[in-house]
Amino acid sequence: MKRILTSAIRMGMVALVFAACPLFARPGEPTKIRARAIQVEMIQSDEVSMPAEFQISLYENLIHQLEKQGFQHVYREGDRNAASSTDLVVLHSTVRRFKQGSERARQVTTVAGATSITVHCQFSSPDGATILERDVNGKVRFFGGNLKATYDFAKKAARVAHENISTPEHE
Amino acid sequence: MTLRWATHYAGLVLVCAGSLITIANAQQSPGPTTVVQLTGLAGVKDNAKGTLSVENGNLHFAHGKTGSDVSTTSIEDVVTGGDSQETVGKTIGTLSMAAPYGSGRVLSLFRTKIDTLTIRYRDSEGGLHGAIFTMPVGKADVIKKELVANGAHSTAAEPSAASTSASPSSQEERKQ
Repeated sequence: MKRILTSAIRMGMVALVFAACPLFARPGEPTKIRARAIQVEMIQSDEVSMPAEFQISLYENLIHQLEKQGFQHVYREGDRNAASSTDLVVLHSTVRRFKQGSERARQVTTVAGATSITVHCQFSSPDGATILERDVNGKVRFFGGNLKATYDFAKKAARVAHENISTPEHE
Repeated sequence: MTLRWATHYAGLVLVCAGSLITIANAQQSPGPTTVVQLTGLAGVKDNAKGTLSVENGNLHFAHGKTGSDVSTTSIEDVVTGGDSQETVGKTIGTLSMAAPYGSGRVLSLFRTKIDTLTIRYRDSEGGLHGAIFTMPVGKADVIKKELVANGAHSTAAEPSAASTSASPSSQEERKQ
């Protein structure tokens, strides 16, 4: 009788543990997209006029920052090797807003002359299906040249990728 | 008295002619240009100082003992622009911010104009790259012409004489 009671208590405890498991899960945490490689397309600025050096700086900084996020490969636009890659995500970026400030005004007044850029980032699968869309901005308010805003954007965009994409390094 | 004026006049003409010849020589023989590579060249650190030249169908950037070449035929676009930078160095500029009563900020008012040269090119795998260089005023257009003559492409239309004279000031106004 005592053995039956002990077994019943044990079984009840095991059942309680299993029943409580879903309570430990974090419901707010979004499911991450799994990707081993990312291909970065050239930043488009058809709607907004932007100097060529800003466009190139956005692209190059974005690639450098994504390379730090643990992707096995970060492919550039047009790279033929991307076609054979598995678990590939393609990043399309379009400039939505651009305000070129003045480094001189920033240094003299501290409060004026900020440069700001807003870029719409669209992560999609190779067949074109959109996986994630975000507006990311980059700013330079105090120190540094106007191009520093592109570095700020790249860091934030890479953070978005890090938060939403599961790379082999983080698995 | 007349002889004195004639001597002065002749001297002035000689000085003007000498400076014109110097400018003409500078335009005819571009040679390597001292530049700063802001970003983009493979194997070269950002903000690396070096010399840029177009030789044997390549855009050659020499930095210390190392060099980097980009084939001019792989260049899809060349764009020139204008910008400005602090006349004093970055370190002095930053240190001057600590001067009392904001007096160091006066230094920020003194800026020199610079040219920017932006290129887009493809690597052997077809990947798109971009590189940005800054250089003294007037050098970017010379390098761009050399690149285009050696097979590089440029989507930007050549500016007319009128727009050329108007553009630097407008660009400067825009980029400061």
